Amino acid sequence: MINPALSKFDPLSRIIYYDDFDTGLNGWTALIGNYEESLDSILPGFRDLRPPMLSSSAFWDTGSAGSCDGTYAMKLATRPQAGSLSVGIKRMTYRHKGPLRLEAYFTFKPEAEKLRLSDTDAGSIGFLFDLQDDTHRVMPHLRYLNAHDGQRVQRWQFKQERVAIRDIGATGETVSHFHLSDEGWEDVPDGNQRLCYNEIATKQNWHYLRIGFDLDTMAFTEFQCNDRAFDVSGIAPMVMPAMPNLWCMLNAAFWSQAGSDRRTLLHVDSVVLSGEF
Amino acid sequence: MLRSSHTAVVERNIWWEGEWSTEPYEAAWATRAVAFVRVLERRNIAVDATLRVQISPDGIHWCDEGNVLNVSADKDISFARVSQFGGWLRLTGVLGPEQGLKVVVYLALQG
Repeated sequence: MINPALSKFDPLSRIIYYDDFDTGLNGWTALIGNYEESLDSILPGFRDLRPPMLSSSAFWDTGSAGSCDGTYAMKLATRPQAGSLSVGIKRMTYRHKGPLRLEAYFTFKPEAEKLRLSDTDAGSIGFLFDLQDDTHRVMPHLRYLNAHDGQRVQRWQFKQERVAIRDIGATGETVSHFHLSDEGWEDVPDGNQRLCYNEIATKQNWHYLRIGFDLDTMAFTEFQCNDRAFDVSGIAPMVMPAMPNLWCMLNAAFWSQAGSDRRTLLHVDSVVLSGEF
Repeated sequence: MLRSSHTAVVERNIWWEGEWSTEPYEAAWATRAVAFVRVLERRNIAVDATLRVQISPDGIHWCDEGNVLNVSADKDISFARVSQFGGWLRLTGVLGPEQGLKVVVYLALQG
């Protein structure tokens, strides 16, 4: 029997979660940087990550579009400031060190407050895992850089470069590192991809995303967007020594980043994380 | 069926100075909301400050809904109740030139 909602996904043998956002945010929540005693101790880049919301994609000219599957999607909306980030994160732990597959349908747009094409005003959208085994914290990062400084880029990038880990507060128990900074991104080999932006800012098309990562080898196994499967042999995650209190961590996060002083809106619906165990 | 609920932190540890609006929050699924303002610090605040509840059809164009949230001059938490607000909510207000309120703003939504 075909399940119409799941049929557009190709999960591995066990589904860890399947979130379609029609009954809530399903554990996808706002990200905040680590702090001690005062919120002022948060690293600057982590202080104002905008929270997720449930959106029916209500546009000023055509009304509600609904989501890819049902009425609501998870929306990540930046502030109308270049560089502003919005992040939705779901926090799990893993029970088996084996293959993972993250699948999602997504669409992104600049806010439609101007009556022009605006395709170079949406900055970037991205996805990361945040994982830890007995020895290492491993953070695979991928983003689609749509535009930079008003210029069309349309290229997938990954990030393995680490930034310095900073002490937060005075107890020595809390650290932080701003891994979402705009620096250190490298191009995915042959990673240019023209996604369907459509012809005005209120017409959105949904795209398929698949990211495979193996918790045993801590390496990418696959990466696909729509009809393009990319060679993952040349891409690597961020790796650092294991940290206290993060054992068996299996976090997943999506984000959007404004490319100009306009809001960038990322919609995600649905998300399936599956594993082989 | 249990009622759906969600608490959104729409502003956090941020100074309200001069003309100010919270970021738009889309919540067409919800039928009612309580907006809370928690004050972390005050600068030259002697009387209650006022935030107006605003609604919007599209998250871009805004009008006053009619409710106001009086941010207490001496209490840590203030609130306002809103219902039948359509799809979008925000709060907006103005402080004087030397005034400031460092706030956390919540929307406790139910649908």
